[in-house]
Amino acid sequence: MTLAAICLLVLVFGLVAFDWATLRGKNRRALFVEVAVLVGGAAFIVFPERATALAHVVGIGRGVDFLLYPTVIWLVRESLLSRRRRIEDAERLTHVVRAFAIANSKSS
Amino acid sequence: MPVRDGAAALARTLSTLRDRASAFGGVTVFLVDDGSDVALDIPKATETFRVVVARHVVNLGQGAALETARQLALASPPRFTAYVTMDADGQHLEGDARALASAIEDGADVAFGNRFLGDSNVPASRRVVLFFARWFERAITGLALADAHNGLRAFSREALEQVRIRQNRMAHATEIKLAVSRASLRFVEIPVSVRYTPETLARGQSNAGAAMILCDLMLQYLFGE
Repeated sequence: MTLAAICLLVLVFGLVAFDWATLRGKNRRALFVEVAVLVGGAAFIVFPERATALAHVVGIGRGVDFLLYPTVIWLVRESLLSRRRRIEDAERLTHVVRAFAIANSKSS
Repeated sequence: MPVRDGAAALARTLSTLRDRASAFGGVTVFLVDDGSDVALDIPKATETFRVVVARHVVNLGQGAALETARQLALASPPRFTAYVTMDADGQHLEGDARALASAIEDGADVAFGNRFLGDSNVPASRRVVLFFARWFERAITGLALADAHNGLRAFSREALEQVRIRQNRMAHATEIKLAVSRASLRFVEIPVSVRYTPETLARGQSNAGAAMILCDLMLQYLFGE
């Protein structure tokens, strides 16, 4: 195993341990999904030839590309959706604050 | 008139407007306190002057405050002949506000202040930013205005009804021009004097804010209606 792979594994299991310690009582189902995804990713770090074999099945040259392509697509989509949600939340906040301000406006 | 903190400057601005209200034929100030941390001193009403105060419980931005003032003005009696937006920090002169209102009374739908035709002490760095802003706005709104982002503007009631502001922060100035262009409203530019002081420069928009405006406009283009 390379030094880079060891560093990645430390990062992955460090994140799992941290999130398990801090979020265990709050979002159990989401936490299980996160752990499953991260452990799956760790398996591909330890056995990169398995990722490459899967990549070849679908016509992609390298295992890392097989994992990277869908991840980037998902991240871009998630980023846009997240931005849109923030804008919608800001619009709702503005609407509420404005309605309250107008309802409570006073004339000198 | 949007305001956030700056109680002393606001008191001076309101006092000046109150003193001139009679000569102006009556003034109603729709003051929107955009989440001030300090108490604002509002002068008592007179026969020709009154202040309607609305308070945002959290800071939303100047564009949001202007939209709140717009909705208040459209909902409040009596009917007005001209609606003027101006800063509360003393940058704008009440005489210039009157000149813009006169342009509306003379038949314009919208009057924009032009600080470059008046006696303004615009800092060199601000001139550079406004030069590029002017060409940017001309490209996207089609309006050939000499002064971009001047807070001193006037609207007729009919025009005001068509200029809804969705941009909460500083991009509202571009949004207003876009609305004027789309509604084919008749507009004029009036010379005004903008007074820059260390206090107004410290409290006002920074030159770096131009990048934030571009970002907000891009987001509205992507996610807006």
